[in-house]
Amino acid sequence: MTKPPPDQPQEAFSRRSFLKGASVATIAGTAATAAATAATATQGKPETFGPGTHEIQLKVNGQNKLVKVETRTTLLDALRDQMDLTGAKKICDRGACGGCTVHLDGQPINSCLTLAMDAIGGEITTVESLTEGGKVHPLVQNFVHCDAMQCGFCTPGMVMSSLACLQQRGKPTREQIQHDLSGNICRCGTYGRIFEAVERTAQGAQGGGK
Amino acid sequence: MKPFTYVLPHTLAEAHTAAKKAGAVLKGAGIDLVDRLKERIEAPPEVVNLLPLKNDLAGIADDGGGLRIGALTTLRQIAEAAALQGPAFGAVRIAAGLTATPLVRNRATLGGNLLQLARCWYLRSAAFGCLHGGKGPTCLAMTGENRYHSILGWHDCVRVHPSNLAPALLACGAEYTTFFDGKQERRPLAALFPDEPTAQKAEHTLRDGEILVAIHLPKPSGDVRSTYQETREKDSFDWATTAAAVQVTLQDGTITDASIVLGAVSPVPRPRAEAAKSLIGKKPGDAAFLKAAEMAVAGASPLSQNAYKLSLCKAIVRAALTEVTR
Ligand SMILES: Cc1cc2nc3c(=O)[nH]c(=O)nc-3n(C[C@H](O)[C@H](O)[C@H](O)COP(=O)(O)OP(=O)(O)OC[C@H]3O[C@@H](n4cnc5c(N)ncnc54)[C@H](O)[C@@H]3O)c2cc1C
Ligand code: FES
Ligand code: FES
Repeated sequence: MTKPPPDQPQEAFSRRSFLKGASVATIAGTAATAAATAATATQGKPETFGPGTHEIQLKVNGQNKLVKVETRTTLLDALRDQMDLTGAKKICDRGACGGCTVHLDGQPINSCLTLAMDAIGGEITTVESLTEGGKVHPLVQNFVHCDAMQCGFCTPGMVMSSLACLQQRGKPTREQIQHDLSGNICRCGTYGRIFEAVERTAQGAQGGGK
Repeated sequence: MKPFTYVLPHTLAEAHTAAKKAGAVLKGAGIDLVDRLKERIEAPPEVVNLLPLKNDLAGIADDGGGLRIGALTTLRQIAEAAALQGPAFGAVRIAAGLTATPLVRNRATLGGNLLQLARCWYLRSAAFGCLHGGKGPTCLAMTGENRYHSILGWHDCVRVHPSNLAPALLACGAEYTTFFDGKQERRPLAALFPDEPTAQKAEHTLRDGEILVAIHLPKPSGDVRSTYQETREKDSFDWATTAAAVQVTLQDGTITDASIVLGAVSPVPRPRAEAAKSLIGKKPGDAAFLKAAEMAVAGASPLSQNAYKLSLCKAIVRAALTEVTR
């Protein structure tokens, strides 16, 4: 028998204030796009795409990017194979490990079970955003400080779930961290140190030295 | 995954027309569907995406007669909904919050959860051909690896219904609305699942192209309480080995109404009417709960590897009744 999940997340640490505080680059690209989206489509007949290749616009880490996809391309494959954002990992490819975790509109999701087409119009945030412009996010610094990885394969996904936990709860309890990270598997069993890295970040630590 | 044409409708009518075409399949978040396509157990020529209809089909609102939960509402939204915080719908909230992982719940829709394909490992693998999948002469789990399969109410296929939300919503007296041929139709939730869940029957009773629009929960009258419990092999990421949702109404310390619904033990979610009836007129107490728990598994016929589910079922029915009347 399992326990009901802990308390609801709090909005204390919103995504917006976080992005500002961490000065992650969010300059929105303004590239024109040939891609049609549901929003711009004409009424009366559904839009259809595929089965071949077509171009869509995705907003990744604050920048609009044109990407060639098929209708069957997952967001994970679009990021890794088309945009060279290989932080998100393809491990199980079935929603069962969390290695592919990215944020879609501020919520952590499995990008392996999300079609790239379904991310059109959304704000996609990947682990790469945490080291943009040479500035390393405190959460990443604390993962390093706590030695919160062994093989490192689960780490990008863990970081993105941890980030969402911090953004949504501010100062999460250990139980809340465990709850929010329960969609990410670490085969090496580094959980304890990962939880510590999240707690240190919530306490305002900037990695080593403090 | 085989290539497919992707259809983005503007209206329910457009979605319905597109989905009625031979081979076309509807999609919510796609968590179940994309998995099936990757396994190549299905290769539909057209996928009709319902997500563009989110504005109409997502969200929880009081529609006067009760709560209306849109089919595209995510499991996370259900788990955290203020409208479901009361004791009457605890089962629904808890079942949603226990399903899969936070990452899955952030996208998975209520409709997709109720309508997902069974998780039988033979059915879900292109390496096997089974009767329910329409690719073989027998149910392979019947005599094969069947520790997670049915213990009651099975015919020629022993798959279990995988949805956590189904037993919870059934216990709470839910109804559902669908869209078909220009009309919305509303029925009791039990009608969403086949009466005789044979191998040939789908997991649900929707016709080709019929769209699940919403689930409705009745306004509770009196001291109505519900809860949901399940057993699993591990605490996260895991499917229920057994699940039980119960709802009771109490008046002056006596149970005046009750429902008990089992999940993960039969090809459809199973209301246990006789067991529930045995509680009516009784004061809450362990003797009554034990008897109801025994009755909940009456007539069960477990398979070679899953008799363990009988005692688990009894234990969670008893525990859920104890918890909900506390
Ligand atoms: C790791 C993991 C663990 C999981 N554990 C659990 C668990 O413990 N308990 C549990 O219950 N579930 C569990 N799930 C399953 C998960 O809840 C479902 O896959 C999810 O809810 C499906 O929702 P979706 O919106 O993605 O559906 P989709 O994949 O989009 O659709 C699923 C099916 O429903 C049909 N459909 C969807 N919406 C509609 C509609 N409105 N009208 C008509 N047809 C529709 C589609 O045609 C398709 O056949 C788990 C999944 C994963 C990946
Ligand atoms: S790769 Fe997506 S969850 Fe495992
Ligand atoms: S560090 Fe190896 S899987 Fe987590």
